[in-house]
Amino acid sequence: MGKKKSLEGNEAQTAWTLLIPTMVVIFAIAFFPLVSVFRDSMTDREIASEKEINFVGFENYINLLSMTIRELPPKVDEDTGEIVIDEETGEIEYTSPVRVLPREPRRYKDLAVFDMFGKKYVLGATDPEFLASVRDTIFFVVVSVFFETIIGLAVALVLNANFKGRGPMRAVMLIPWAIPTAVSSRMWEYMFYSTRAGFFNTLGEFLGLSGGQFAFIAEPSAQLWVMIAIDTWKTIPFMALLLLAGLQLIDKGLYEAAVVDGANVIRRFWHITLPLLKPTITVALVFRTMDSLRVFDLFQIVFGEKRFSMASFTYYELISNNQMGYSAASSVIIFFILLIFVLLYVKTVGVGGENA
Amino acid sequence: MHKSQTAKIVSRVLFWILVAFIFIEMVFPFYWAINSSFKSDSQLSMTPATMVPRSTTEPHRFAPTLENYSTVLRDPTFWLGISNSAIVAISVTILSLAIGSFAAFALGKLRFKGKGAVKYLVLSMTMFPQIAVLTGLYAVKRSLGIPAIPGMILSYLLFTLPFTTWIMTSFFEGLPTSLLESARVDGANVFQSFYRILLPLTAPAAVTTGLLAFILSWNEYLFALTFTTIEREARTVPVVIALFSGSVAHQDPFGQIMAAAVLVTIPLIVLVLIFQRKIVQGLTAGAVKG
Repeated sequence: MGKKKSLEGNEAQTAWTLLIPTMVVIFAIAFFPLVSVFRDSMTDREIASEKEINFVGFENYINLLSMTIRELPPKVDEDTGEIVIDEETGEIEYTSPVRVLPREPRRYKDLAVFDMFGKKYVLGATDPEFLASVRDTIFFVVVSVFFETIIGLAVALVLNANFKGRGPMRAVMLIPWAIPTAVSSRMWEYMFYSTRAGFFNTLGEFLGLSGGQFAFIAEPSAQLWVMIAIDTWKTIPFMALLLLAGLQLIDKGLYEAAVVDGANVIRRFWHITLPLLKPTITVALVFRTMDSLRVFDLFQIVFGEKRFSMASFTYYELISNNQMGYSAASSVIIFFILLIFVLLYVKTVGVGGENA
Repeated sequence: MHKSQTAKIVSRVLFWILVAFIFIEMVFPFYWAINSSFKSDSQLSMTPATMVPRSTTEPHRFAPTLENYSTVLRDPTFWLGISNSAIVAISVTILSLAIGSFAAFALGKLRFKGKGAVKYLVLSMTMFPQIAVLTGLYAVKRSLGIPAIPGMILSYLLFTLPFTTWIMTSFFEGLPTSLLESARVDGANVFQSFYRILLPLTAPAAVTTGLLAFILSWNEYLFALTFTTIEREARTVPVVIALFSGSVAHQDPFGQIMAAAVLVTIPLIVLVLIFQRKIVQGLTAGAVKG
C-alpha cells in the first residue's frame, strides 16, 4: 500500500517534471507577452524612441473606437438662403462631412455616409482606418468561411465517392495548403494584374465580361472579393479534407438501410450525412473562423497600406508608425473580438467538452 | 432500361466534369506561376496573356526562357532566405518534438492531479492568436536584444508546440499501459521506460507532427516579417519573396518572383505528395476525433 502510494507520488512528480519545458514556453511566449500587451495598451509607448513612457489609461482604446453619427444638412446658398442643387445631376448637395463632424476634444473623420428616412448622415470615427479594418475583416471572415464550408462540403462529398484516382486527387488537394501564403498571395496578385497581362483580365475580355482593364486590386469595391477568392482557393481543399475524414467515419450500413427504406439521395444527405457530420463541421468552422479573423499575409502583401485587415493594421501601427501602445490596444481589441466569436460558437452550436 | 442506362452515363460524365473542374481550380494558379516564370519581361507584358510562353515576334512559336531562374539562383538574398528558413524550420521542428513528446507522455500515460486542466490549456493554446502577442513579443525581443533567428525559433513554438503535444498525447494514450508496467517490473523508472520503450514507438506520430511543424514554420510570415524589419539578413524565404523588388523601381519583377515562388514551392509539393496520408491524418486528428 505504502509502496503503491509512493509510486503514484513518483509518477506525479515525473509528470510535472516532464511538463516543465512546455509550461515555461507557454508562459514565456504566450502569457508574459499577452500581459505586457495589456499593460502597454494603457501607455503611449513608442518603439525606438527615448521618449518617456506615460500611462494614458483607456486613451488608446477611446481613440480606436470612438464613433459618432451626425446629420448632413443640405448645402444652403449664403446669399439666397436656398438649398443648393447640383446643376448636372439635379440632386441636392450636402455639406461636407468635415464641417459637421466634431473636432474638439478629438477630431472625427468620416468613415461612411448613408441615407436613412430621407436624410443623409455621416458616421464619423476618430480612427476610421481601424474601424474600417474591423468591418472589412468581419465581412471577409463571414463570406469566406461561408463559401469554404458549403463548397468544401460539396468537394468532400465528390471525393467520398469511390472512383479511380481518388488517392492522387486527395494529394493534389494539399498543394494550395502547402504553398506559403506569402508566395500564393504574389501568384494571385499577378493573376489579378490590372491589364490583360494578368490572367483574369485576359479571361474577362475573352468571355466578353470586361474591357480587360479592370483594376481588381485598386478598385475598392473589388478588393475584399479578391481577398475572398484567394483565401477560399487556399482553404476549400483543407476544409474538404477535414470534412472527408468525418464522412469516412460514417457507417456505410446506415446508407444501405436508408436505400432499402426508399430514401432518396437528398433525404439520405439531410437525415444521415448532415447530422452525423455536424461535430466535424462545427470544429472545422471554429478553426477556420479563428484563423481567418487573424488574416494578415494576404492583406499585407496584396494591399500594403491601401486597405487593412485587423492584423495588418496592428502591424503597421507597430512597424511603420512605431506606436507600440496604440498597436497593443488594437491587439487587445482583436483578442476580445476573437473571444466573442468563440463564445458565440460555444453558445450556439455547443462546441467544447468532448468534441473539441 | 435504356433510359436508366443513359441517365447513368450522363451522371458519370457530370461527375468527371466536376472532378476535373476541382482539379483545375486547385492547380491552375500554380500552373500560371510556372508559365509566367518562363517568360521574359517583354513576354510578361504581352496582352492578352498567353497560356504558354510565346515568342513576342512570332506569335505561334513556343519560346520559354530560363533567364528568371538564372537571375534568382544567382541572387544571394534568395539563398540566404532559403538557409534562414531551413535553420528556423528545422530547429522549431526538433524543439517542438522534444518538448512536446515530454509533455505528451505525461499527459497521455501518467496519472496525476491537474491533468485535465493542463490538457485544456494545451488545447486552448492551439487557437491562440499570434497577432495578440505580436507587439509583446517584439518588445521582449528588442529589450533583451534577442537576434531575429532565435527570436523566430522561440516564437514559432507558440503555434507548433500545442498541436505537437496534442497529437502526440492522443498517440501515447493509444499505446498499451502494459508496456510501461512490464518495464517497471524490470526495474526501470518512469523516465527510463519513457525514453527506452515508449519513445521509439512514437516514431510514426513524430513524423506526422514533425512534418506539420516544419511546413507551418517554413511558411510563417507575420513574425518573420516583423522581427526582420531591421535585420534584413535574417529574412526567411516567404519574406524575401513578399518583398522581392527588382532593380527597376515601381515595377515588380513578376517573372523573377514567380521563378522564386516555383523553386520554393516544388520541394514542399514533393514533400506533401510523398507524405500525403500522414499529413491528412495529422491535420484531421484534431478535428475529427477528440
